[in-house]
Amino acid sequence: MSEPRTHRAGGDKAKDTDVVALLMRQHGDIRNLFDEVEQSKGKERRTAFHRLVRLLAVHETAEEEVVHPFVRRMVPGGEQVVEDRLAEEKAAKETLATLDEMDTDDPKFMPQLMKLRKDVQEHARAEERYEFIHIRRHTDAINLAVMAKAVKAAEAMAPTHPHPGVESLARNVALGPVAALMDRTKDAVRKAMGND
Amino acid sequence: MTFNPLEQRGIPLDRQLRNWREMNVQPIDPDRGDPYTRCRIITMNGIEVEAILFSHQLARNTVDPDVKRQLARTRYIEAQQQKVVNWLLPGVSSVLETTIAYEQVAVDLTAWVARMEPDPYLRQAYQFGVLEDFDHLFRYANLYEMIEHRKAESIVDNLTEVMPGRPTKFHHRDPYDNVRDPYDKNEANPLSKLHALTIMSAEQQTMNFYMNTGPTYMEPIARQLYQEIGLIEEEHVTHYESLVDPGETWWEQLVNHEYNECYLYYSFMEQESDPKVQAIWELHLNMELEHLHTACDMMRRYDGREPQEVLAPELPKVVTFAPNKQYLRGLLDTQMDLTTLGAGYVREAHERFEKMQEQIHGGQEPPSERVMAEHDDVFGREYRVQSEGEHPDPALREK
Repeated sequence: MSEPRTHRAGGDKAKDTDVVALLMRQHGDIRNLFDEVEQSKGKERRTAFHRLVRLLAVHETAEEEVVHPFVRRMVPGGEQVVEDRLAEEKAAKETLATLDEMDTDDPKFMPQLMKLRKDVQEHARAEERYEFIHIRRHTDAINLAVMAKAVKAAEAMAPTHPHPGVESLARNVALGPVAALMDRTKDAVRKAMGND
Repeated sequence: MTFNPLEQRGIPLDRQLRNWREMNVQPIDPDRGDPYTRCRIITMNGIEVEAILFSHQLARNTVDPDVKRQLARTRYIEAQQQKVVNWLLPGVSSVLETTIAYEQVAVDLTAWVARMEPDPYLRQAYQFGVLEDFDHLFRYANLYEMIEHRKAESIVDNLTEVMPGRPTKFHHRDPYDNVRDPYDKNEANPLSKLHALTIMSAEQQTMNFYMNTGPTYMEPIARQLYQEIGLIEEEHVTHYESLVDPGETWWEQLVNHEYNECYLYYSFMEQESDPKVQAIWELHLNMELEHLHTACDMMRRYDGREPQEVLAPELPKVVTFAPNKQYLRGLLDTQMDLTTLGAGYVREAHERFEKMQEQIHGGQEPPSERVMAEHDDVFGREYRVQSEGEHPDPALREK
């Protein structure tokens, strides 16, 4: 069976005028990448994991810059909703940091990856159920589109299929480049939101 | 192996109540478990929901307060069983993911029952229905990829193919044509009675699930698709419940319900791959044995008959969740264009069918067609899992 892969959100032909729909599709993309890492081996696993780390970093940064501030500002009780999500993100980042320092062939890698997968999945569902519903309730189509544009600007920072030569450098996964990536993402988002 | 529930004793009823700690079960892994474990959970939830609802109906038709109290005692335990079984589903799954699992149940459970059903008229009813659930799975899978960017194969795991069945838009029939003829309670094979009760319960739970969860979606196409398929599930409940002989007394029906629960818990205990879930099937079987004996006592007292007169002499061959790909392909090849006429089946669109189609569609494409068009706009293709090759019907191959 030759089932084509699901295009990354932003790479399909969806209109992407609704930040919530866009973020939900990205949650799926992240799960798909977890599957890819789990199902591959050796060099392939390293490159898939590299892509996963970058997508996670960019996605979470975009949410921190776009979604959380909106909820904090516009939603009654939003402060607590955001605090809960930030605590989950912190836990996920700690697992991510442990994984980053590990060789993908290390026998301890997979159990750690499975833990991260579970944390990320629970966090994503909590966002969808307790945070995203408030966004749609408290804003209009124009604002949903503006926020979608900002998230898409962030996604552009995590190329879906980077050049193989670049990807094979497993050490790119190290925290330095990821932190720099997060900074670049923040800049891109702020620019798209017109805050800069 | 002969297991006769009538000869086994279980846990005494006054020792069946569970506390909160015992009720607090660990849910299954949402992504890495055996898909058929999830199918067995969804099936048993439907069976327990029917047990509870049936017992309520019986109580409402009962005058004697002592009998009402007896029913209430067993029913409370059944309500706990339902909570334990359904709470095995993980909170992290989305409604759409659970929906796809419900349709996998409808496909593989109904196909198995059709294969094992001894009566040709009843078998036809299951063969007819399964091609519709098969198409629902296809439509929901496309909605799922659109909303969550995930593929249904991550849920059904290549055990069940995902491709068009009888197109959903043709499932909307005049209600007159949804009523089947019942089996004859005195002539029917005991297995046929269990099959009818099982599939009726599963479809009823699917109807309940869609009617309640459909409006939790915000995406217009999702809301509309749940409305459309939810209505078809009502047709399916009508279809399957009319197979049951209405001449069975209330007590006879109660005994059949309890016996069926024993049969299914036993079946699933025999094949369960997840040891924690298997322990629950075993525990619940041991509870159901006592519910069955209580029901048998009531039948003896109020009907003046022996339950053995209506039950199987021994437990039939177990119900099994297993792939039915080739069987379904055979049906796709031969029964796609069927519809119902009265209590039978025809290949031509008849006047009543066409009138219903005209009225419900109102000159528009239904949600089940629009979901495919919207999916195509985004991905430029359909989502299918055709692990065994091209679609058997050339007209339904991908262009």
